[in-house]
Amino acid sequence: MPTYKLHYFDMHGAAEVSRQLFILSGTPFIDSRISKEQWPLFKETTPFGHLPVLEVDGRPLPQSQAIARYLAKEFGFYGKTPFESAWVDALADQIKDFLTEMRPYFDVFVAGSDKEKARVEIAMPAISKHFPFFEKAAKDNGSNGHFVGDSLTFVDVYIADRIVTIDGMLPGFADAYPSVLAIRDKVINDPRLKEWIATRGTRRVAGEVLVDLRK
Amino acid sequence: MPEYKLVYFAFRGLGEVPRQLFSLAGVKFENVRIEDADWDAGKRPETPFGQMPVLFVDGKPIPQSFAINRYIANQYGFAGKTPFEAALVDAFADQFKVDFNTEFKKYWYVKQGDEPGDVEEMKAKHGIPARDSFFPLVVKQLKKSGSGFIVGDAVTWVDVLVANATDYITVLEKDLLNDYPEILAHKEKIHSLPGLKEWLKIRE
Repeated sequence: MPTYKLHYFDMHGAAEVSRQLFILSGTPFIDSRISKEQWPLFKETTPFGHLPVLEVDGRPLPQSQAIARYLAKEFGFYGKTPFESAWVDALADQIKDFLTEMRPYFDVFVAGSDKEKARVEIAMPAISKHFPFFEKAAKDNGSNGHFVGDSLTFVDVYIADRIVTIDGMLPGFADAYPSVLAIRDKVINDPRLKEWIATRGTRRVAGEVLVDLRK
Repeated sequence: MPEYKLVYFAFRGLGEVPRQLFSLAGVKFENVRIEDADWDAGKRPETPFGQMPVLFVDGKPIPQSFAINRYIANQYGFAGKTPFEAALVDAFADQFKVDFNTEFKKYWYVKQGDEPGDVEEMKAKHGIPARDSFFPLVVKQLKKSGSGFIVGDAVTWVDVLVANATDYITVLEKDLLNDYPEILAHKEKIHSLPGLKEWLKIRE
């Protein structure tokens, strides 16, 4: 088995999906959290000047979605056929498009002043543009708690984590989309993720921790 | 052989790379081009996300341009030779789309006349910084791979993606990439590949 080291800041952001893929597959990995102080120097060592970066036996791989897809393929979370994999990719890119449109709202929520204006003018339009398509995709797949096929793929993990995060800012924002919420529920209630979800808030801010949840 | 139908607008845009990938693979596809006027008037084909391109494979749709590119590449051997190479291809492609192009297009749409604005101001504020953040990464990787291709020793879909951008940039602004001779050489190499070379002669 290769040695995996995943570098990111101490937050969910773009790395949590990949962390969860390690946990779901029972694969040990070194969970590296880079602090604000460490970042300027560490940045120089990264391929593209940003995080996350996954090291596979020391070889660095940048870009969160490339990392998630690589791990998903390794661990069997990428669909059962090439067509299914294409749909996993398509939904992941569509979610990313949604998040790009939400970005100005996130910026205001974190550091801005008129949250309500941003909610009405940015967040609600983005949600009502994209979530009906996500709901349709989930329904067309049989409302079985998965976007694609009948088993977990990385796009299920992706939407679940993003819904959890955004729900913290806009409680109940996805209530009109029950088949999508069913996907979130299936992920966050997955027994393999239980310990991780319960304990991740108590980890060290910076540094490397070997995460090995194999029993 | 599956039946492929690519549905996009009647311009190059996000449809050009899939068209080029089919040509590179020597694979027949139905090239459906929807006029702007028809799309705007509501005469739209069925699309999963209300957007194009969509690739129909034996009548079943795949949306999202990069999902389409990767699907074609995986079917016909342009996705990298190992899982790690495939991931590097994905990383460079996302760096192009998300990190480079979201910035660059703020300049480029004004340059093309699609959006109003001060060309020189947008070039200084968005075009040049985006160019100088992205292309050095590709040059560095080209030096690393040593093959003339961005990842590994054979053409991948990110070569086609980058060469296509080099092409449309230099057609409209000849000198914008003069500081990047390796990028210009890369485009020449990719655009001389059999299959693709012929497509470039006949494409609209």
